[in-house]
Amino acid sequence: MLAISEGDRVTSALVSVALDAATLRHQAIANNLANIHSENYRPQRVNFEEQLSALRHAVATQSPIAPAALAQAQPFIETDAARRTGDLAGRMDMEMVKLSQNAVHYQTLLKALDRWGGILTLAVNEGRK
Amino acid sequence: MNYLSTFAISASGMTVEKARLDVTAMNLANVHSTRTADGNAFVPMQVISGAKQGASFASYLSAAGVQSAGAKVFEVRARNGAPRMVYEPGHPDADGKGFVAYPGVDPVGEMVNLISAMRAYEANVAALNAAKTMALKALELGGSA
Amino acid sequence: MNIQSVDFLPLNAQIAETSKPAAGAAADFAHWMEQEFAQVNDKLIQADDQVRKLAVGEVDNVHQVMIALDQAKISFQLLTQVRNKLLEGYQDILRMSV
Repeated sequence: MLAISEGDRVTSALVSVALDAATLRHQAIANNLANIHSENYRPQRVNFEEQLSALRHAVATQSPIAPAALAQAQPFIETDAARRTGDLAGRMDMEMVKLSQNAVHYQTLLKALDRWGGILTLAVNEGRK
Repeated sequence: MNYLSTFAISASGMTVEKARLDVTAMNLANVHSTRTADGNAFVPMQVISGAKQGASFASYLSAAGVQSAGAKVFEVRARNGAPRMVYEPGHPDADGKGFVAYPGVDPVGEMVNLISAMRAYEANVAALNAAKTMALKALELGGSA
Repeated sequence: MNIQSVDFLPLNAQIAETSKPAAGAAADFAHWMEQEFAQVNDKLIQADDQVRKLAVGEVDNVHQVMIALDQAKISFQLLTQVRNKLLEGYQDILRMSV
């Protein structure tokens, strides 16, 4: 079973990094929501898109991904340069949308990893419960 | 995040309705405004919004199409309406004949706008919640094992 | 939009094919087993690919990932059971005192 032996480490590492990004994203959104009424607040955001685009290309062309490349693709929180002034509660609904979106993505990743691990468990215990 | 772009569509709808609400609230607040801070007459505004992508429906079904679906505000334009002239000779802003020009804001029309913007906003929130529920339900495929 | 029906699980096809080896020779059986292994491997690779696509954000629907995973699991389970039954039968034969 070629797919299981080599590819699995990469797959679970990839999903793990995506889960890290989702957790970090939640932190940034929660921080933004907590500071909804703070004057001169700098909104936070997670920087992950650039790291993702390199991995995305590799996944789309089904080419192998080096573990070193994966280790480098770490998400991090970055703060907006512009401070938020004026209509402070105006962006609350957009933050709520991002919150919902992130929560769904996190649960989907977790469930997919769980199911994938379940298939491997079948291989390990030879189909016996 | 293609399956997550459904959220972006609802979010864009919410942004448009919020803009509509803001403009309607501004119009209602200025029903009795005879002048603005820089001395001109206040003109009631309206929001012109439309779909993000003007192509055919078939293009929405392609991957690129969904990314740019949704609504956006094109412009906030002045309404064409004649100002409401009221005879008040003692008013500082009265013209030569003693008439004061109040902005032609139709309170009933603006209230209808307000309510329809609110309902549209709620509808977008409902669509977003439905999208979220559907995605979470799809996770239950294959049983609870 | 091409809407596929839900009942496209591989069980039907594989149950029909398991009745073939009874009539075939050993070479046919080995050939059939190879085919089955190849199919299950394909399904596993596909499921793996879908999970990776989900992680990088390239997937169109949640359900396509779940369905791919489910199909891979069921066909793998079937293969494992077939393999277990074969081993059991082989061990039975070994145990027979000549």
